[in-house]
Amino acid sequence: MTVYPCVLGNKLARSGIGRPRLTRGCLQMCVCVAPPSQIHRHSPVLMWSSCLSPWQHGDQHWSLAFSQMATPQTRPARESTVPSGSRIPSYLLLLGEESEAGLQSVCVCRVPELQTGGADHQETTARRCVSTQQMDVNPSCVQLSVLPSRGLVDEKFTVLVQKAPPGLQLTLHALHKCDDGHSWEAFAHYCTSAAGTINVSEDPSLGGTYSGVEQMGLLWSLRPVPGSRPWIGLRKVNAQSPMVFTISVYTGHQTEGFVGLVPLAGVEVERWYVAPGVQRIPVTEDGLSAVLYLPPGPGPFPGVLDLWGGGGKLVEYRAALLASHGFASLALDYLTPKVTLETGKLVGNDYFEKAYRVLQQHPQVLGSRIAMIGLSFGTSMTLKMAAYSEVIKLRCAVCISGSHVQPVDGSISEIMSFLSGKAAKTRVTDDNQVIWRDLLLPIPTDPTLKVDMGRLRCPLLLVVGEDDMNWPSCESAADMKDMMQRAGNSHLLTVLQYPNAGHLIEPPYTPLTRASYFKSATSDKKAIALWGGQTVAHAHAQEDAWRKILVFLRENLYGATDPTL
Amino acid sequence: MIPFVRVKWSFLHRIVGLRWKTNYRQGPLLTAAPARPLVDEQVNITGRFLPPHCPVTLLAQMCSEEGDLWEAFAHYNTKADGTVNLTRDHSVGGSYLGCEPMGLFWSQQPAPGSREGLRLRKNNVETPFVTLVSLLEGHVSPIEGQITELAVTTIERWYMAPGVRRIEIRQHGLVATLFLPPGPGPFPAMLDLWGFGGGLMEYRAALFASRGYASMSLAFKGHKDLPGPRKTMNVGDSYFRSAFQLLQNHHQVCADRVGIIGLSFGVYLSLRIATQPGINPACLISINGPVGSNVKLLDEEGRTETSDCEKKYWWYDNQGHVTFRDASFPGNLQPGSKVKIDQITCPVMYISGEDDLSIASIENAKLIEETLSAAGKSQLFTYLSYPGAGHLIEPPYSPNSRVSLWSVKPEKMTCLWGGNLASHAAAQEDAWRKILSFMENQLIA
Repeated sequence: MTVYPCVLGNKLARSGIGRPRLTRGCLQMCVCVAPPSQIHRHSPVLMWSSCLSPWQHGDQHWSLAFSQMATPQTRPARESTVPSGSRIPSYLLLLGEESEAGLQSVCVCRVPELQTGGADHQETTARRCVSTQQMDVNPSCVQLSVLPSRGLVDEKFTVLVQKAPPGLQLTLHALHKCDDGHSWEAFAHYCTSAAGTINVSEDPSLGGTYSGVEQMGLLWSLRPVPGSRPWIGLRKVNAQSPMVFTISVYTGHQTEGFVGLVPLAGVEVERWYVAPGVQRIPVTEDGLSAVLYLPPGPGPFPGVLDLWGGGGKLVEYRAALLASHGFASLALDYLTPKVTLETGKLVGNDYFEKAYRVLQQHPQVLGSRIAMIGLSFGTSMTLKMAAYSEVIKLRCAVCISGSHVQPVDGSISEIMSFLSGKAAKTRVTDDNQVIWRDLLLPIPTDPTLKVDMGRLRCPLLLVVGEDDMNWPSCESAADMKDMMQRAGNSHLLTVLQYPNAGHLIEPPYTPLTRASYFKSATSDKKAIALWGGQTVAHAHAQEDAWRKILVFLRENLYGATDPTL
Repeated sequence: MIPFVRVKWSFLHRIVGLRWKTNYRQGPLLTAAPARPLVDEQVNITGRFLPPHCPVTLLAQMCSEEGDLWEAFAHYNTKADGTVNLTRDHSVGGSYLGCEPMGLFWSQQPAPGSREGLRLRKNNVETPFVTLVSLLEGHVSPIEGQITELAVTTIERWYMAPGVRRIEIRQHGLVATLFLPPGPGPFPAMLDLWGFGGGLMEYRAALFASRGYASMSLAFKGHKDLPGPRKTMNVGDSYFRSAFQLLQNHHQVCADRVGIIGLSFGVYLSLRIATQPGINPACLISINGPVGSNVKLLDEEGRTETSDCEKKYWWYDNQGHVTFRDASFPGNLQPGSKVKIDQITCPVMYISGEDDLSIASIENAKLIEETLSAAGKSQLFTYLSYPGAGHLIEPPYSPNSRVSLWSVKPEKMTCLWGGNLASHAAAQEDAWRKILSFMENQLIA
């Protein structure tokens, strides 16, 4: 049989169907016999499999060892002899990878004719493949569905593959193109069940960017495609448009080169931060740089003031998602509002009080039911307001990945100076990643350097990751607990602490950003900040934390009794 | 960008927003899952954190593309756990009765004071139908004065799934819209034909694409891009052959898995196409249509001479609504236009609404069945008949219009379609499921 994989490879590439994967030292191929008129992508095929080992380019003499293809459900194979020198009117060549689970077709190609070896060769024995149905990877048969096809970012979806042959190796793949042009992908290897199905909620991934049973693994294990710029994160800037993911299923267990492969099926899924009817209202009065997201309906709704961290700018998506859960949410930019951009001066504490009043006085907001949620530096602001502000009366507060350590009477700029004064404690890894967690350690005993937690009158939920490389959130949480126990208000405190979770604990099913470029709003230098976190643990932490945050907000903001009394 | 149709709050001025009562442990919550379903998907609407054994009303309101307000409401009693769940509980009054998870959609009617003869249809299939669902205190109806609103949710219902591609076809003289599912294909396909009202209705084809079928909706009358006067059908056999072949030859379509679906006059057209030489659809779905033309034909190509069927067949009911039903009795069909049913070689599914007041559906179905039987092809025929269902058997959960505006010139005419709201809704739901199942058996397996 004169078969030259390189030539075939070219032919296959030209046919546009896919590139074959050659296992080192061994060409596994399968020959199918059927008259040409019946061949198109949908007819069942009879196949033989042969394993050539070792293969040498240009060598026309090799012995063919045909091996049996077996799947758990195959009927016993029958042997048939193909005399050497005979012409096999084969028209379809399937290059496949053979494994215990059977032959998996990688690509399909049409070749005019193949001839078995000449008189020098031994007679070869071909074992006929048994059930053609099982080997038929009919593309228009395999069904892929992801439901719901349009869901909220924090909703789960069900990924189902149906009508495939049983015991077949398949790869599920997710692709996402960011607003900023970067592409992200995830993939997982599965084996179809006896019924020819894969249910990602129940079946384990055998490998890929995640493994085991992970219903939402295709989303949280996304990573930048090869060739992407390093140290990027996945963040949605426009919170009103959906994130679009392409979920595809491929034959075999693929690990790379998805762009060049043709999938068996593909669907698109939209993931939204805003539920239908949620309104976005920019808020610019009184010099504020903010955006209000309102749930649908006349209301009134409880309110949430949403603060992000030291990078500044207006980050809207969490507020949008909270509005989808029934909270009027005001995302506030407190580091780079107009006045700071124009004069270079950071805002004072009254800026937050103004934002609170805007929310409180809004006709569709219940003024007596307002909470604050902060991440990172936003925690510092939240705790400061909760403990010291005469104006801001919170029903409850959520603080994620932050600390209470700050000069108590300081404005934002004084706090920033306090932090930069500690810059010497910055650590840099071998990869040039910056660790800032030590700046505030050890937790000071000086009461003027940390928020007096004993003054807190409202329930507080702290969410911290033990692998937080950016802020000493676990140590701070322990100290806060200690302070509150001594002050007698520790019944207000709940701490959610997650091993191996990092700093950026965000709404669920978005991939972990373990390290990324970061530029503080108050400095000119850009660095690669190490946020920390291990992918799987961080994903589970985000899911668990978000659920508990929503329950906490609902209990305190929708419940009838005032928890601060 | 959210394709947000601004709900006219002026319509809701009678609702007082007073939600917070201190005798609730937690504010009432109304959720719909999924919140962005496909039009043919069931939505689970649930109210929670309500007092137990309490009367509540669910009110659905929607603004059509033409700006008319459609609404439906239903009365429920909450269970002991303070919940109301439309997939489990029974409506005890309002626009529908009994356990009807999608009742708030299919029982919608134009709000009091609306224009007459309305029919709810979507022209732009790239945006969703937006429905506002409110949970109200007590058993009230929308026209009452003071209403206390407990919770609200918004539902977007889409005809196109994410990734479905909409392609306008204006080549070879064809006027059509092609919808392709996401993915590499190739896909089985459906040619989609509507009735003599004309125009280009895309929503059924869009839904088929969302279900995995490449679908092409074809205009044959009353479209600005078609030749000749708008009131007559000026295209003939070669036009339809061309359309079928375009679909069949598309590189993402499986050439041997192309079916045709027709409603009303579209049934006659699809049967006529199926018996053309060289055209071999894999299956036919016929809804409430004649086997021949009920409108006078101009030539052998099948173009029509007139715009309506003969006046002698027009019949008016006591409210002045017109029906042309008599023209479609097999005996009254235009001579020479009856399709040679015995030449059909593919499976045929015929769907009848037993209250069809526009076409003699049952009689035509019988004719097809008898003709196929006589030719020894009775195994090709599947028949579904729905009591209480009218002429316009469409994708599920859309409200039936028993009458609707047919024409404005030379005189305003409203046409009688038939169908009782609840029976028609049940028929649409069952028929759609059976249609998809039939398509799966004939075009995929």
